[in-house]
Amino acid sequence: MPVVRMALAIVAVAASSALLFPLRPYIDTAAVALLYLLPVGLVTAGLGQGPGIVAAVLSFLAFNYVFVPPYYSLRVLHADNVVALVVFLVVAVVTNQLVGRTRRSLELATEREREATWLYELSAALMGVTDPEAIAQIVSHQVQTICQPTSLELQLRVDPDGRVVRAALPARVAPPAGRPSVSIPVQGTRGLLGEIALWMPGGPLSSSQGRLLGAIAGQVALALDRARLAQAESRARVLEQSDALKSALLSSVSHELRTPLATIKASVTSLSAGDVDWETDARRDLLDAIEEEADHLNHLVGNLLDSSRLEAGSLTPERSWNVLAEIVRAVLVRMRTTLRNHRLEVDVSEDLPLVPVDFIQIEQVFANLLSNSAKYSPSGTTIWIRARATGPQELLVEVENQSPPLRDEDLGRIFDKFYRVTSADTVTGTGLGLSICKGIVEAHGGRIRAHNHPAGLVFSLTLPLLSGGLTLPPEEVA
Amino acid sequence: MSQQPHVLVIDDEPQILRAVRTILTAKQFRVTTAARGEEGLTLAAAHVPDLIILDLTLPDLDGIEVCARLREWTQVPIIVLSVRDTEKDKVAALDRGADDYLTKPFGIEELLARIRVALRHSAQTKGTGQSVVRSGALEIDLAEFRVTRNGVEVKLTATEFKLLAHLAGHAGRVHTHHAILTAVWGPEYAEHVEYLRVYMRQLRKKLESDPDHPEILTTEPGIGYRFIADS
Repeated sequence: MPVVRMALAIVAVAASSALLFPLRPYIDTAAVALLYLLPVGLVTAGLGQGPGIVAAVLSFLAFNYVFVPPYYSLRVLHADNVVALVVFLVVAVVTNQLVGRTRRSLELATEREREATWLYELSAALMGVTDPEAIAQIVSHQVQTICQPTSLELQLRVDPDGRVVRAALPARVAPPAGRPSVSIPVQGTRGLLGEIALWMPGGPLSSSQGRLLGAIAGQVALALDRARLAQAESRARVLEQSDALKSALLSSVSHELRTPLATIKASVTSLSAGDVDWETDARRDLLDAIEEEADHLNHLVGNLLDSSRLEAGSLTPERSWNVLAEIVRAVLVRMRTTLRNHRLEVDVSEDLPLVPVDFIQIEQVFANLLSNSAKYSPSGTTIWIRARATGPQELLVEVENQSPPLRDEDLGRIFDKFYRVTSADTVTGTGLGLSICKGIVEAHGGRIRAHNHPAGLVFSLTLPLLSGGLTLPPEEVA
Repeated sequence: MSQQPHVLVIDDEPQILRAVRTILTAKQFRVTTAARGEEGLTLAAAHVPDLIILDLTLPDLDGIEVCARLREWTQVPIIVLSVRDTEKDKVAALDRGADDYLTKPFGIEELLARIRVALRHSAQTKGTGQSVVRSGALEIDLAEFRVTRNGVEVKLTATEFKLLAHLAGHAGRVHTHHAILTAVWGPEYAEHVEYLRVYMRQLRKKLESDPDHPEILTTEPGIGYRFIADS
């Protein structure tokens, strides 16, 4: 557009000359010189320095040619006219320079303001973003808006695993084969974090674009550092929590493990002391106590293992088609010493549909529910185990006991790790059993809950049947 | 078999070795012990025992490996010892030739019962082999394809008989799901545990006096099944 601006400058001078021409007989040359400064000043201010100079020179010539005697010649006769001309030229040029400088600093200020706005928007957009992928996306779009490259690629190395995140625009188009026109490193506090590469349609970037890109690279480095810190912090928090869990576990477990050990040690030392002739019955009692407590210890250790597996996320069920009644039968054999003070009523038909479960894990669920029931319900009371298909997709299993009712807030929380309804001293237990049940049942895609019943407490759990995967053998005749 | 059956115990825990040696010696067994897999293999080759008790977690070799290497040259009964969280290894050991397993901690009565069954079974296979197996009121004639209960013939389908014959043919021994399915239905059915579940249910209904509390065809939790014959 410089041509248009030049033309406008010429038009302005010509128009001024035309307007002033009729006034020539009435005003003296000094006043004309002053009046000619008007178009020069206006053109410089409005159209820039180049057109301003053109206007100044043209005005100088027109003034000399038309208004300074002798008219229609560039010659000058009187000394005061020479002074007027020289002063005009000097004032015109100086004005031009001054206006031009102001204009430039205005433009610069506007540009800086724009840059500042962009950077502000970018840092606002990056605020709170800790995902490197998201950071790369945001930044690449911002760079696209500012520099308008034909293509751009952003690579960020992500700590600590050295993973590289890439973002390219236009998306899903491979970047051009040639070297990028510009490539700007992203320098973090701990070395090079990546680079921004641009392929520009024209030549290289303008200095302001270059400056902006540098600032953007700085923002990216900051955002990445921030993301790394946030991750480190959340890892530290997780560690702290698992540490707290571990110490809770340790204090609970050491108490739990010592109790049966104390019984075993006491019984064994009494039997081997030799100073007492134990009655057969007393002897039998001591031996029973030892066996019972050894089984109890074994059960505890099993729960501890399951619990740590649950925590590590490695308790994945190894499903196979099982008969629920067989699982229940196996657990009743295993738990016979624990359950010998309770009456058991089992209603689990052999003819229930096959369930796709991990035998050992579901057996552990029953073992924990039964051990819990035996612990909290008075001896001599009944424990019921029931199962029925509630639809083609689900089996409902209930373990009911005659323990005292629980408060509503306890019902919701008894499946939490280490949650104990009674104080730790009154009834033994690690507070792990039910949380393991929940973990296992949920790993099988089922749900478990507890509710009060007029006569006691009911644990109910569902097991999905997923009958789609079941192929039954063809029928045969004998 | 000599008067005193010779048992080789391979286990790396000295306490277990001490306890098992003391108890088995008191029960009139001759006991040799090894704390490492290679040592156990050497001892077994030098002086073939009547039975081997093998722990699955050994310092030098995997117990399953020991089992497989023993089976390359001997059919001596092997009882595997394991802890509860190595179910997979237990099944693997059984599939590689072990005869039975015990989960630690175990009661000594249980160990003695397993030893008796394994020794009897090995004595039978050394001899001519029985074609008639009895368990309570049940009598199975493997050669004649005949099953009677209290003298009354029980009608079985071909697959039911094949399954029963497979279990009864190695009575007392634990059979893994995988092994039973492969033997009865074929290798392509090795993972179809549901077939086994269905047929075991049918068999129990026909053979057990109380199918809900089976005494002849018992379940080994998570492992397989066992046929309990009269001793």
